[in-house]
Amino acid sequence: MSESPVKLAWEPQIQPEHGALTALLLADARLPIGGHTRSGSLEPALAAGVDDIPGFINLHLRTVVRTDAGTAVVARRHALAGLPLEPVLDAWRARTPSAALRADAEIVGAALVRLASRLWQLVPLPANPPGALVLGAIAAATGIDAADIARVVAYDAVQTITSAALKLRPGDPLEVAGWTLAAFPAIASVVSASADIVTPDQIPARSAPHLESYAEAHTTTTRRLFRA
Amino acid sequence: MPENHCAPTRRAMRLGIAGPVGTGKSSLIMMICRELAHDIAIGVVTNDIYTDEDARMIRAAGVLDPARVLAVETGACPHTAIRDDITANAMACERLEAQHGPLDVILVESGGDNLTATFSPALVDVQIFLIDVAGGGDVARKGGPGIERADLLVVNKTDLGPHVGVDVPMMYADALAARQGGPVIALSRNDFRAVAELRGWVLDQHAAYIQGRLEPADPGPMAAHRHGPGEPEHAHAGGRHGHTH
Repeated sequence: MSESPVKLAWEPQIQPEHGALTALLLADARLPIGGHTRSGSLEPALAAGVDDIPGFINLHLRTVVRTDAGTAVVARRHALAGLPLEPVLDAWRARTPSAALRADAEIVGAALVRLASRLWQLVPLPANPPGALVLGAIAAATGIDAADIARVVAYDAVQTITSAALKLRPGDPLEVAGWTLAAFPAIASVVSASADIVTPDQIPARSAPHLESYAEAHTTTTRRLFRA
Repeated sequence: MPENHCAPTRRAMRLGIAGPVGTGKSSLIMMICRELAHDIAIGVVTNDIYTDEDARMIRAAGVLDPARVLAVETGACPHTAIRDDITANAMACERLEAQHGPLDVILVESGGDNLTATFSPALVDVQIFLIDVAGGGDVARKGGPGIERADLLVVNKTDLGPHVGVDVPMMYADALAARQGGPVIALSRNDFRAVAELRGWVLDQHAAYIQGRLEPADPGPMAAHRHGPGEPEHAHAGGRHGHTH
């Protein structure tokens, strides 16, 4: 371990046996990173006429979440190996063509950096990292394994949409919890497809033109509840 | 150059402004900017419930460089954004200072929520709670954490008293009684003496802040309340509030 120039309130202690607990902490909506301000583009999707919310969740898990989960896994590996994270950032940006989605992911990244700077000691990060990349760096610093951090990325994407759904299309919350449960096989597919990715060029690049157009449209909407 | 310009290393004093919808929070911010923008460097963060209308109105008012006004969306949780999870607002304040700093004061306008929404001391150094005469003469008497314990209570739109059948001196007396001596300003945009009083209060708070005498205080968690006729009354100890109103 090299000396850190950063002065922390206490010495960080990487305890791999707490990696699973840290993953739960990161997946908890009560984590103070502004999760309540975003809808995973559900707000613009509903405005555009989408009404199959479970289908919308599935769309995420088959497209952008694959890129994000792969990014987190590769960022974790690079951080653990002492490799720079810039190539991971470049790969994520190349696979995230929507400027709106990139900008929002960078806000999540900034919130995670804000949190992590108080709790852990991360490897040096490139400027304006997306949330997925920061999650990978946190995983490396705290003993979260590759499958678990991929699972956090996928689960958070699902719960961002379901909790926003309860605000935008209020219904029986028990039914909405059922949507999360129904997404478990797709989440498991994300995890199994992501956990063994090693290099930036292996990060999936799935096209999601509808999702991207919803996200873009949201940036010019004046009546909105959610940041994204 | 502002007289009491703060040292670049110290972050700006954050002044929170909370209060129910329509009480005049955005107008109060524009008034403070108009009165003080020549003396101190100000930034503004707004928390609109459903639009960026407040931010656009403040930008259009010409009282401040439009780039110094940022809007934060709160995901229909205005209460959460100023109390439980202040991330979006704290990041907006940090961004304003990074891009336009050094600033002396950042005004953080809460979304118009209800009588129980107050700022976390982790987000703001000092806070104003705002009610208005047109909202009902009994509001001050009803009390609540903001009315009773915010650093300043402003009773706004006093000029409307005769038009809405509210006895303004009585409402002011109710407010003083509810606050047990805490400061109250009865304000109208046409009342130059009250505007000067508000201006003086903000400058006093800033002076106390740069001298290290300002201790952020929590007005308190929300009071006991109920969610419907059939619901039991309940409180949320420690300010935790897991549901939306």
